[in-house]
Amino acid sequence: MQWIPEYQGDVERVERFNAVARITHWGHTVTFLLCLFTGLALFLGGVDWLAAIFGGYRGAGLVHRIAAVGMTLMLGFGVVFGFMGVIEWVKDIFRFGINDIKFLMVFPFEFLGFKVKIAPQTRFNGGEKMNSVVTPTMVILLVLSGYIMWFPALFPAGLVRFCYPVHDLAMIFSTVMVCMHGYLGSFHLGSGESFWGMWKGTVRTDWAKHHHAIWYEETYGDKAKSE
Amino acid sequence: MARLMANLYDVSKCTACRGCLVACKDSNQLPAVIEPFKGNYCTHEDTNGNTFTIIKFIEHEDPVDGVRWNFIKRQCMHCLDPECMKVCPKKAYTKSEWGATVQDPNKCIGCQYCSYACPFEIPKYRKHTDTITKCTLCIERVNEGLKPACARTCVAGALTFGYRDELLEQAEERVKFLRANGFPRATIYGKLEAGGTNMLYVLTDTPDKFDLPVDPKVSANTWVWQDWVQPYAGWLIPIALGASAISFVTNRVLANKNKDHAEGGHE
Repeated sequence: MQWIPEYQGDVERVERFNAVARITHWGHTVTFLLCLFTGLALFLGGVDWLAAIFGGYRGAGLVHRIAAVGMTLMLGFGVVFGFMGVIEWVKDIFRFGINDIKFLMVFPFEFLGFKVKIAPQTRFNGGEKMNSVVTPTMVILLVLSGYIMWFPALFPAGLVRFCYPVHDLAMIFSTVMVCMHGYLGSFHLGSGESFWGMWKGTVRTDWAKHHHAIWYEETYGDKAKSE
Repeated sequence: MARLMANLYDVSKCTACRGCLVACKDSNQLPAVIEPFKGNYCTHEDTNGNTFTIIKFIEHEDPVDGVRWNFIKRQCMHCLDPECMKVCPKKAYTKSEWGATVQDPNKCIGCQYCSYACPFEIPKYRKHTDTITKCTLCIERVNEGLKPACARTCVAGALTFGYRDELLEQAEERVKFLRANGFPRATIYGKLEAGGTNMLYVLTDTPDKFDLPVDPKVSANTWVWQDWVQPYAGWLIPIALGASAISFVTNRVLANKNKDHAEGGHE
Protein backbone atom coordinates (compact mmCIF):
# COMPACT_ATOMS: atom_id res chain seq x y z
CA MET A 1 0.00 0.00 0.00
CA GLN A 2 1.15 3.48 -0.81
CA TRP A 3 1.51 5.98 2.01
CA ILE A 4 2.91 9.27 0.75
CA PRO A 5 3.26 9.71 -3.04
CA GLU A 6 6.84 8.77 -3.83
CA TYR A 7 9.47 11.47 -4.30
CA GLN A 8 10.53 11.46 -7.93
CA GLY A 9 13.89 13.15 -8.28
CA ASP A 10 14.35 12.13 -11.90
CA VAL A 11 11.49 14.14 -13.36
CA GLU A 12 11.32 17.87 -14.02
CA ARG A 13 10.51 19.79 -10.80
CA VAL A 14 9.72 23.39 -9.92
CA GLU A 15 10.25 25.28 -6.65
CA ARG A 16 7.11 25.73 -4.58
CA PHE A 17 8.34 26.92 -1.15
CA ASN A 18 11.61 28.63 -0.27
CA ALA A 19 13.72 27.81 2.80
CA VAL A 20 12.18 30.50 5.04
CA ALA A 21 8.66 29.29 4.30
CA ARG A 22 9.69 25.71 5.00
CA ILE A 23 11.48 26.48 8.26
CA THR A 24 8.51 28.57 9.44
CA HIS A 25 6.09 25.80 8.45
CA TRP A 26 7.89 22.97 10.23
CA GLY A 27 8.71 25.19 13.20
CA HIS A 28 5.02 25.78 13.60
CA THR A 29 4.29 22.09 13.13
CA VAL A 30 6.51 21.08 16.04
CA THR A 31 5.46 23.86 18.40
CA PHE A 32 1.78 23.54 17.49
CA LEU A 33 1.70 19.79 18.12
CA LEU A 34 3.56 20.19 21.43
CA CYS A 35 1.10 22.87 22.51
CA LEU A 36 -1.82 20.77 21.29
CA PHE A 37 -0.98 17.59 23.18
CA THR A 38 0.07 19.35 26.38
CA GLY A 39 -3.06 21.50 26.17
CA LEU A 40 -5.32 18.51 25.55
CA ALA A 41 -4.18 17.11 28.91
CA LEU A 42 -6.19 19.91 30.54
CA PHE A 43 -8.91 20.24 27.90
CA LEU A 44 -9.93 16.58 27.89
CA GLY A 45 -9.67 16.11 31.65
CA GLY A 46 -8.79 12.80 33.28
CA VAL A 47 -6.12 11.89 30.72
CA ASP A 48 -3.32 11.43 33.25
CA TRP A 49 -1.38 9.22 30.80
CA LEU A 50 -1.13 12.11 28.35
CA ALA A 51 0.17 14.46 31.04
CA ALA A 52 2.58 11.74 32.21
CA ILE A 53 4.36 11.83 28.82
CA PHE A 54 5.40 15.38 29.65
CA GLY A 55 6.23 14.63 33.27
CA GLY A 56 2.83 15.29 34.83
CA TYR A 57 0.50 18.25 34.62
CA ARG A 58 3.09 20.76 35.77
CA GLY A 59 5.58 19.39 33.23
CA ALA A 60 2.91 19.60 30.53
CA GLY A 61 2.24 23.19 31.58
CA LEU A 62 5.93 24.01 31.27
CA VAL A 63 6.25 22.35 27.85
CA HIS A 64 3.09 24.17 26.76
CA ARG A 65 4.59 27.53 27.68
CA ILE A 66 8.01 26.83 26.15
CA ALA A 67 6.39 25.62 22.92
CA ALA A 68 4.08 28.65 22.95
CA VAL A 69 7.06 30.99 23.14
CA GLY A 70 8.66 28.97 20.33
CA MET A 71 5.51 29.36 18.27
CA THR A 72 5.50 33.12 18.86
CA LEU A 73 9.16 33.27 17.78
CA MET A 74 8.32 31.26 14.65
CA LEU A 75 5.57 33.77 13.81
CA GLY A 76 8.14 36.54 14.17
CA PHE A 77 10.72 34.62 12.14
CA GLY A 78 8.28 34.07 9.28
CA VAL A 79 7.19 37.69 9.18
CA VAL A 80 10.69 39.16 9.48
CA PHE A 81 12.66 36.89 7.16
CA GLY A 82 9.86 36.00 4.80
CA PHE A 83 8.10 39.33 4.69
CA MET A 84 7.68 39.36 0.91
CA GLY A 85 6.52 35.76 1.02
CA VAL A 86 3.81 36.65 3.54
CA ILE A 87 2.71 39.55 1.32
CA GLU A 88 2.55 37.23 -1.71
CA TRP A 89 0.62 34.71 0.37
CA VAL A 90 -1.95 37.29 1.48
CA LYS A 91 -2.24 38.62 -2.08
CA ASP A 92 -2.96 35.12 -3.33
CA ILE A 93 -5.65 34.62 -0.65
CA PHE A 94 -7.35 37.76 -1.92
CA ARG A 95 -7.49 36.26 -5.42
CA PHE A 96 -10.36 34.08 -4.17
CA GLY A 97 -12.75 33.90 -7.12
CA ILE A 98 -15.08 31.76 -9.18
CA ASN A 99 -12.44 29.07 -9.77
CA ASP A 100 -12.00 28.67 -6.02
CA ILE A 101 -15.75 28.27 -5.56
CA LYS A 102 -15.77 25.66 -8.34
CA PHE A 103 -12.90 23.92 -6.58
CA LEU A 104 -14.69 23.86 -3.23
CA MET A 105 -17.82 22.43 -4.87
CA VAL A 106 -16.03 19.41 -6.35
CA PHE A 107 -13.58 19.10 -3.46
CA PRO A 108 -15.56 16.47 -1.50
CA PHE A 109 -15.24 14.10 -4.50
CA GLU A 110 -11.56 14.92 -4.98
CA PHE A 111 -11.12 14.36 -1.23
CA LEU A 112 -12.55 10.85 -1.43
CA GLY A 113 -10.39 10.03 -4.44
CA PHE A 114 -12.83 10.34 -7.38
CA LYS A 115 -11.47 11.66 -10.63
CA VAL A 116 -12.85 15.17 -11.08
CA LYS A 117 -12.23 18.06 -13.40
CA ILE A 118 -10.69 20.89 -11.40
CA ALA A 119 -10.86 24.51 -12.54
CA PRO A 120 -7.38 26.09 -12.91
CA GLN A 121 -6.08 27.23 -9.53
CA THR A 122 -3.69 29.96 -8.44
CA ARG A 123 -0.76 29.23 -6.14
CA PHE A 124 -3.19 28.15 -3.41
CA ASN A 125 -6.44 26.43 -4.31
CA GLY A 126 -9.81 27.27 -2.77
CA GLY A 127 -9.31 24.90 0.15
CA GLU A 128 -5.77 26.06 0.79
CA LYS A 129 -6.99 29.65 0.76
CA MET A 130 -9.55 28.73 3.41
CA ASN A 131 -6.85 27.05 5.49
CA SER A 132 -4.60 30.07 4.97
CA VAL A 133 -7.25 32.31 6.48
CA VAL A 134 -8.54 30.11 9.30
CA THR A 135 -5.36 28.55 10.71
CA PRO A 136 -3.17 31.68 11.02
CA THR A 137 -6.11 33.66 12.43
CA MET A 138 -6.71 30.97 15.01
CA VAL A 139 -3.01 30.74 15.85
CA ILE A 140 -2.86 34.49 16.42
CA LEU A 141 -5.93 34.24 18.66
CA LEU A 142 -4.30 31.33 20.52
CA VAL A 143 -1.12 33.32 21.07
CA LEU A 144 -2.92 36.47 22.24
CA SER A 145 -5.40 34.69 24.54
CA GLY A 146 -2.62 32.42 25.77
CA TYR A 147 -0.41 35.25 26.99
CA ILE A 148 -3.37 36.92 28.67
CA MET A 149 -4.14 33.68 30.54
CA TRP A 150 -0.46 33.23 31.37
CA PHE A 151 -0.22 36.67 32.99
CA PRO A 152 -3.79 37.23 34.18
CA ALA A 153 -2.79 39.78 36.82
CA LEU A 154 -1.83 42.25 34.08
CA PHE A 155 -5.24 42.24 32.40
CA PRO A 156 -8.82 43.00 33.44
CA ALA A 157 -10.59 39.94 34.89
CA GLY A 158 -13.35 40.15 32.26
CA LEU A 159 -10.81 39.85 29.46
CA VAL A 160 -9.16 36.85 31.16
CA ARG A 161 -12.55 35.11 31.42
CA PHE A 162 -13.23 35.84 27.76
CA CYS A 163 -9.91 34.25 26.80
CA TYR A 164 -10.80 30.78 28.13
CA PRO A 165 -13.54 30.00 25.57
CA VAL A 166 -11.58 31.86 22.87
CA HIS A 167 -8.45 29.77 23.49
CA ASP A 168 -10.46 26.55 23.41
CA LEU A 169 -12.45 27.44 20.28
CA ALA A 170 -9.35 28.65 18.45
CA MET A 171 -7.63 25.39 19.43
CA ILE A 172 -10.57 23.35 18.09
CA PHE A 173 -10.87 25.19 14.76
CA SER A 174 -7.13 25.26 14.15
CA THR A 175 -6.78 21.58 15.07
CA VAL A 176 -9.60 20.62 12.68
CA MET A 177 -7.79 22.52 9.93
CA VAL A 178 -4.46 21.01 10.90
CA CYS A 179 -5.92 17.48 10.78
CA MET A 180 -7.30 18.04 7.28
CA HIS A 181 -4.17 19.91 6.18
CA GLY A 182 -1.87 17.23 7.52
CA TYR A 183 -3.81 14.49 5.80
CA LEU A 184 -4.24 16.27 2.46
CA GLY A 185 -0.61 17.30 2.45
CA SER A 186 0.66 13.75 2.86
CA PHE A 187 -1.47 10.62 2.58
CA HIS A 188 -4.04 11.98 0.13
CA LEU A 189 -2.98 10.55 -3.22
CA GLY A 190 -4.09 13.51 -5.34
CA SER A 191 -2.52 16.31 -3.35
CA GLY A 192 0.13 14.35 -1.45
CA GLU A 193 2.83 15.56 -3.83
CA SER A 194 2.58 18.93 -2.09
CA PHE A 195 4.32 17.25 0.87
CA TRP A 196 7.55 17.35 -1.13
CA GLY A 197 6.88 20.99 -1.93
CA MET A 198 7.08 21.72 1.76
CA TRP A 199 9.74 19.14 2.66
CA LYS A 200 12.23 19.49 -0.18
CA GLY A 201 10.89 22.70 -1.67
CA THR A 202 10.01 21.38 -5.13
CA VAL A 203 7.06 19.63 -6.77
CA ARG A 204 6.77 17.69 -10.01
CA THR A 205 6.17 20.03 -12.93
CA ASP A 206 3.31 17.93 -14.29
CA TRP A 207 1.66 17.96 -10.85
CA ALA A 208 2.04 21.74 -10.61
CA LYS A 209 0.52 22.17 -14.09
CA HIS A 210 -2.40 19.95 -13.16
CA HIS A 211 -3.10 21.24 -9.64
CA HIS A 212 -2.10 24.90 -9.83
CA ALA A 213 -2.39 25.76 -13.52
CA ILE A 214 -2.60 29.52 -13.07
CA TRP A 215 0.32 29.62 -10.64
CA TYR A 216 2.45 27.47 -12.94
CA GLU A 217 1.65 29.60 -15.99
CA GLU A 218 2.44 32.82 -14.13
CA THR A 219 5.65 31.61 -12.49
CA TYR A 220 7.19 29.06 -14.84
CA GLY A 221 5.05 29.29 -17.98
CA ASP A 222 6.15 30.58 -21.39
CA LYS A 223 5.09 34.11 -20.60
CA ALA A 224 7.05 34.23 -17.33
CA LYS A 225 10.09 32.76 -19.05
CA SER A 226 10.08 35.32 -21.83
CA GLU A 227 10.01 38.23 -19.37
CA MET B 1 -26.55 14.41 52.98
CA ALA B 2 -25.77 15.58 56.42
CA ARG B 3 -27.32 18.73 57.74
CA LEU B 4 -25.61 21.80 56.24
CA MET B 5 -23.44 23.85 58.54
CA ALA B 6 -22.70 27.52 58.02
CA ASN B 7 -20.94 30.54 59.42
CA LEU B 8 -23.20 33.51 60.15
CA TYR B 9 -21.57 36.90 60.19
CA ASP B 10 -23.56 39.79 61.66
CA VAL B 11 -22.26 43.10 60.36
CA SER B 12 -24.11 45.04 63.05
CA LYS B 13 -22.13 43.33 65.82
CA CYS B 14 -18.67 43.43 64.23
CA THR B 15 -16.22 45.90 65.75
CA ALA B 16 -13.59 45.29 63.06
CA CYS B 17 -11.02 44.13 65.62
CA ARG B 18 -9.60 41.70 63.01
CA GLY B 19 -9.26 38.96 65.61
CA CYS B 20 -10.73 36.57 63.01
CA LEU B 21 -7.98 37.49 60.56
CA VAL B 22 -5.28 36.72 63.12
CA ALA B 23 -6.97 33.52 64.32
CA CYS B 24 -7.25 32.37 60.70
CA LYS B 25 -3.57 33.04 60.05
CA ASP B 26 -2.67 31.23 63.26
CA SER B 27 -4.86 28.21 62.65
CA ASN B 28 -3.83 27.82 59.01
CA GLN B 29 -0.17 28.65 59.77
CA LEU B 30 -0.02 31.41 57.19
CA PRO B 31 2.72 34.05 57.12
CA ALA B 32 1.94 37.75 57.47
CA VAL B 33 1.46 39.68 54.25
CA ILE B 34 2.34 43.32 54.71
CA GLU B 35 0.80 45.67 52.20
CA PRO B 36 1.54 49.40 51.85
CA PHE B 37 -0.79 51.92 53.46
CA LYS B 38 -3.58 52.81 51.04
CA GLY B 39 -5.24 55.64 52.94
CA ASN B 40 -7.75 53.63 54.94
CA TYR B 41 -7.93 51.04 57.70
CA CYS B 42 -7.93 47.98 55.42
CA THR B 43 -4.84 45.91 56.14
CA HIS B 44 -5.26 44.10 52.84
CA GLU B 45 -6.93 45.23 49.68
CA ASP B 46 -8.27 41.76 48.99
CA THR B 47 -7.82 38.19 50.19
CA ASN B 48 -4.59 36.68 48.88
CA GLY B 49 -2.69 33.40 48.76
CA ASN B 50 -1.65 33.72 52.39
CA THR B 51 -4.69 35.60 53.73
CA PHE B 52 -7.92 33.64 53.59
CA THR B 53 -10.06 36.22 55.35
CA ILE B 54 -9.94 39.99 55.66
CA ILE B 55 -12.02 42.78 57.15
CA LYS B 56 -12.91 45.45 54.64
CA PHE B 57 -13.51 49.03 55.79
CA ILE B 58 -15.87 50.83 53.46
CA GLU B 59 -16.66 54.50 53.81
CA HIS B 60 -19.73 55.60 51.96
CA GLU B 61 -21.71 58.76 51.98
CA ASP B 62 -25.47 58.59 52.11
CA PRO B 63 -27.42 61.77 51.31
CA VAL B 64 -29.81 61.10 54.19
CA ASP B 65 -27.78 59.19 56.80
CA GLY B 66 -24.53 61.04 56.23
CA VAL B 67 -21.22 59.18 56.27
CA ARG B 68 -21.43 55.49 57.08
CA TRP B 69 -18.42 53.40 57.97
CA ASN B 70 -19.13 49.79 57.09
CA PHE B 71 -17.05 46.81 58.12
CA ILE B 72 -17.34 43.46 56.45
CA LYS B 73 -15.52 40.17 56.76
CA ARG B 74 -14.72 38.58 53.42
CA GLN B 75 -13.69 34.98 52.78
CA CYS B 76 -14.84 32.02 50.70
CA MET B 77 -18.65 31.91 50.53
CA HIS B 78 -18.76 28.08 50.36
CA CYS B 79 -21.49 28.14 47.71
CA LEU B 80 -23.93 25.24 47.68
CA ASP B 81 -23.20 24.84 43.96
CA PRO B 82 -19.62 26.07 43.62
CA GLU B 83 -18.41 27.17 40.21
CA CYS B 84 -14.76 26.66 41.18
CA MET B 85 -15.49 22.93 41.55
CA LYS B 86 -17.06 22.84 38.10
CA VAL B 87 -14.22 24.51 36.18
CA CYS B 88 -11.30 22.79 37.95
CA PRO B 89 -9.65 20.54 35.33
CA LYS B 90 -7.93 18.47 38.03
CA LYS B 91 -11.05 18.04 40.17
CA ALA B 92 -9.16 19.42 43.15
CA TYR B 93 -12.34 20.83 44.68
CA THR B 94 -14.72 18.79 46.79
CA LYS B 95 -17.80 19.58 48.79
CA SER B 96 -17.70 18.18 52.33
CA GLU B 97 -20.70 16.33 53.71
CA TRP B 98 -21.78 19.34 55.74
CA GLY B 99 -21.14 21.92 53.03
CA ALA B 100 -17.55 23.21 53.09
CA THR B 101 -15.96 23.76 49.67
CA VAL B 102 -12.45 22.37 50.06
CA GLN B 103 -9.57 22.54 47.64
CA ASP B 104 -6.82 19.92 47.65
CA PRO B 105 -3.46 21.71 47.21
CA ASN B 106 -1.83 18.42 46.18
CA LYS B 107 -4.06 18.15 43.13
CA CYS B 108 -3.87 21.84 42.22
CA ILE B 109 -1.63 22.73 39.27
CA GLY B 110 -2.04 26.49 39.55
CA CYS B 111 -4.03 27.00 36.34
CA GLN B 112 -6.18 29.66 38.08
CA TYR B 113 -9.37 28.73 36.23
CA CYS B 114 -11.23 28.85 39.57
CA SER B 115 -9.96 32.36 40.41
CA TYR B 116 -11.72 33.76 37.38
CA ALA B 117 -14.80 31.53 37.49
CA CYS B 118 -15.72 32.40 41.09
CA PRO B 119 -18.44 35.08 41.16
CA PHE B 120 -16.85 36.38 44.38
CA GLU B 121 -13.27 36.19 43.04
CA ILE B 122 -12.14 34.31 46.14
CA PRO B 123 -9.61 31.58 45.15
CA LYS B 124 -6.22 33.27 44.99
CA TYR B 125 -2.97 32.22 43.38
CA ARG B 126 0.00 31.72 45.71
CA LYS B 127 3.21 32.13 43.77
CA HIS B 128 5.68 30.31 46.00
CA THR B 129 3.68 27.08 46.03
CA ASP B 130 2.28 27.61 42.49
CA THR B 131 -1.15 26.67 43.77
CA ILE B 132 -4.50 28.23 44.54
CA THR B 133 -5.47 28.69 48.17
CA LYS B 134 -8.63 29.74 49.94
CA CYS B 135 -10.65 29.44 53.17
CA THR B 136 -11.52 25.84 54.05
CA LEU B 137 -14.19 26.71 56.62
CA CYS B 138 -11.66 25.02 58.95
CA ILE B 139 -12.82 21.58 57.87
CA GLU B 140 -10.29 19.73 60.07
CA ARG B 141 -11.49 21.64 63.13
CA VAL B 142 -15.18 21.20 62.35
CA ASN B 143 -14.73 17.47 61.69
CA GLU B 144 -13.29 17.24 65.22
CA GLY B 145 -16.34 18.98 66.66
CA LEU B 146 -14.72 22.42 66.97
CA LYS B 147 -15.77 25.72 65.49
CA PRO B 148 -13.83 27.42 62.68
CA ALA B 149 -10.98 29.53 64.10
CA CYS B 150 -12.60 32.84 63.12
CA ALA B 151 -15.95 31.98 64.74
CA ARG B 152 -14.26 30.71 67.89
CA THR B 153 -12.21 33.84 68.39
CA CYS B 154 -14.83 36.51 67.65
CA VAL B 155 -15.14 38.58 70.85
CA ALA B 156 -18.05 40.68 69.63
CA GLY B 157 -20.22 37.66 68.87
CA ALA B 158 -20.53 38.70 65.25
CA LEU B 159 -19.63 35.21 64.02
CA THR B 160 -21.77 32.20 64.81
CA PHE B 161 -21.11 28.73 63.48
CA GLY B 162 -23.92 26.18 63.39
CA TYR B 163 -26.59 24.46 61.36
CA ARG B 164 -27.54 26.49 58.31
CA ASP B 165 -31.32 26.25 58.80
CA GLU B 166 -31.09 27.34 62.43
CA LEU B 167 -28.76 30.20 61.55
CA LEU B 168 -31.14 31.38 58.83
CA GLU B 169 -33.97 31.59 61.39
CA GLN B 170 -31.66 33.48 63.72
CA ALA B 171 -30.63 35.81 60.89
CA GLU B 172 -34.24 36.53 59.99
CA GLU B 173 -35.01 37.46 63.59
CA ARG B 174 -31.99 39.72 63.66
CA VAL B 175 -32.93 41.45 60.38
CA LYS B 176 -36.45 42.05 61.74
CA PHE B 177 -34.92 43.63 64.83
CA LEU B 178 -32.48 45.76 62.83
CA ARG B 179 -35.21 46.98 60.46
CA ALA B 180 -37.29 48.09 63.42
CA ASN B 181 -34.31 49.77 65.08
CA GLY B 182 -32.82 52.22 62.62
CA PHE B 183 -31.66 50.00 59.75
CA PRO B 184 -34.66 49.87 57.39
CA ARG B 185 -32.62 48.34 54.56
CA ALA B 186 -31.13 45.54 56.68
CA THR B 187 -31.06 42.24 54.82
CA ILE B 188 -29.78 38.65 54.74
CA TYR B 189 -27.10 37.79 52.20
CA GLY B 190 -26.22 34.26 51.16
CA LYS B 191 -29.61 32.65 51.58
CA LEU B 192 -30.39 32.69 47.86
CA GLU B 193 -27.41 34.54 46.34
CA ALA B 194 -25.32 32.42 43.98
CA GLY B 195 -27.76 29.57 44.60
CA GLY B 196 -27.27 29.81 48.36
CA THR B 197 -24.04 29.82 50.32
CA ASN B 198 -22.74 28.35 53.55
CA MET B 199 -21.47 31.75 54.57
CA LEU B 200 -24.42 33.84 55.70
CA TYR B 201 -24.45 37.57 56.27
CA VAL B 202 -26.73 39.88 58.22
CA LEU B 203 -26.21 43.27 56.58
CA THR B 204 -27.36 46.63 57.94
CA ASP B 205 -27.73 48.00 54.42
CA THR B 206 -28.04 46.78 50.83
CA PRO B 207 -25.19 44.48 49.66
CA ASP B 208 -23.67 47.06 47.31
CA LYS B 209 -22.86 49.24 50.34
CA PHE B 210 -20.58 46.42 51.49
CA ASP B 211 -18.89 45.86 48.13
CA LEU B 212 -20.74 42.56 47.76
CA PRO B 213 -22.08 41.66 44.31
CA VAL B 214 -25.82 42.39 44.42
CA ASP B 215 -26.58 39.53 42.07
CA PRO B 216 -23.50 37.28 41.99
CA LYS B 217 -23.52 35.50 38.65
CA VAL B 218 -21.18 33.21 36.83
CA SER B 219 -19.86 35.09 33.79
CA ALA B 220 -21.40 34.11 30.43
CA ASN B 221 -17.85 33.52 29.19
CA THR B 222 -17.39 30.87 31.85
CA TRP B 223 -20.58 28.90 31.24
CA VAL B 224 -20.29 29.10 27.46
CA TRP B 225 -16.80 27.69 27.88
CA GLN B 226 -17.77 25.00 30.39
CA ASP B 227 -21.22 23.95 29.14
CA TRP B 228 -20.84 24.28 25.37
CA VAL B 229 -17.26 24.54 24.20
CA GLN B 230 -15.66 21.89 26.42
CA PRO B 231 -18.25 19.12 26.12
CA TYR B 232 -19.39 19.54 22.48
CA ALA B 233 -17.17 21.68 20.25
CA GLY B 234 -14.19 19.38 20.68
CA TRP B 235 -16.00 16.61 18.75
CA LEU B 236 -15.17 18.48 15.54
CA ILE B 237 -11.61 17.15 15.87
CA PRO B 238 -12.45 13.40 15.82
CA ILE B 239 -14.89 14.15 12.96
CA ALA B 240 -12.03 15.66 10.93
CA LEU B 241 -9.78 12.71 11.78
CA GLY B 242 -12.54 10.25 10.89
CA ALA B 243 -13.16 11.94 7.53
CA SER B 244 -9.44 11.72 6.78
CA ALA B 245 -9.40 8.03 7.67
CA ILE B 246 -12.37 7.35 5.35
CA SER B 247 -10.70 9.32 2.58
CA PHE B 248 -7.44 7.41 3.14
CA VAL B 249 -9.26 4.14 2.39
CA THR B 250 -11.47 5.33 -0.48
CA ASN B 251 -8.48 7.00 -2.17
CA ARG B 252 -6.64 3.73 -2.31
CA VAL B 253 -9.68 1.64 -3.26
CA LEU B 254 -10.54 3.97 -6.13
CA ALA B 255 -6.90 4.19 -7.21
CA ASN B 256 -6.74 0.40 -7.49
CA LYS B 257 -9.95 0.32 -9.55
CA ASN B 258 -8.59 2.51 -12.33
CA LYS B 259 -4.89 1.81 -12.59
CA ASP B 260 -4.26 4.79 -14.82
CA HIS B 261 -5.17 6.99 -11.86
CA ALA B 262 -2.83 5.19 -9.48
CA GLU B 263 0.30 7.17 -10.26
CA GLY B 264 -0.06 9.70 -7.48
CA GLY B 265 -3.65 10.48 -8.40
CA HIS B 266 -2.94 13.00 -11.15
CA GLU B 267 -4.47 12.93 -14.65
